Amino acid sequence: MPLKRLTTLALYTTLSLAIYALESAIPPLVPIPGIKLGLANIITLILLQHGSPRDAALVLAARILLSTLLFGQFISLAYSLTGGIFSLLAMFLINRLLYGKMSFLTGAVGGLAHNAGQLLVAFALTATPGVLTYLPFLILSGIITGFFTGLAASFAGRRLSYIISSKS
Amino acid sequence: MNRTKQNAALIGAILSVLILVSLLYILFPHGKADSYIADIYQDGQLLTSIPLSDVKEAYTFTVTGATGCQNEVEVRPGSIGILSADCPDKLCVHQGFISDSRLPITCLPNRLVILLHPAEQAETDSAAIDMIAY
Repeated sequence: MPLKRLTTLALYTTLSLAIYALESAIPPLVPIPGIKLGLANIITLILLQHGSPRDAALVLAARILLSTLLFGQFISLAYSLTGGIFSLLAMFLINRLLYGKMSFLTGAVGGLAHNAGQLLVAFALTATPGVLTYLPFLILSGIITGFFTGLAASFAGRRLSYIISSKS
Repeated sequence: MNRTKQNAALIGAILSVLILVSLLYILFPHGKADSYIADIYQDGQLLTSIPLSDVKEAYTFTVTGATGCQNEVEVRPGSIGILSADCPDKLCVHQGFISDSRLPITCLPNRLVILLHPAEQAETDSAAIDMIAY
């Protein structure tokens, strides 16, 4: 990996980790497990649009591993990883379909996929069909928070894209 | 550009339908009843069932999981909630008391789920009595 790309991706990982840390300092908005703003997704989306899917996947993986080591318990790794992979795949697909335009839709689908992935893990871990009653709440929150992280990504991406070296 | 718009319209439509269905589900809970039975699950195993309408006086008990994790549950006439827990996020405690089947209480770190379901449709073995009562 060229030095410049390594540095750039490290910078984005730091950025995404800082956003994640900031978000975990905000008290939970609603008492439903799994509902959160998902601000770190902004970075994944920016990299997906202005860098490459590989960049986005690398930074996402690094952020999840580091945040679990620094803030989380081991069990949260299963949630973050599944949610992260689901959301990355969904956003990759939607971003393709929209040719990098209308990020708010990409973000909304990403948030939705993230929550769907987490609910699947919760279902697998608790083995209780009852957790599926969270589905409508998680669908709503995923779409709403994803919509706004998508908007944030399109605004921030315009300013940040010049430091993504893979294009230059 | 046209393709983009077509795809965007399709994705937007799917998302709108999902939002609408979720909202309808949340606003109009199915299976509304006068009395509920609380099922307490841990690790997917049904620990106990408490008919909430039979509770005359509030009482508390502690659920201890296989890993030693603890949740203190309070049962009140018609509602149930978690008073304290040793999980890190305390989301289950913050949720307070529930009295309908809309949203279960879940303590994910301790794998504890408290689920309410309407008393009528649940007890198949005492269906005859319920039919009369209904």
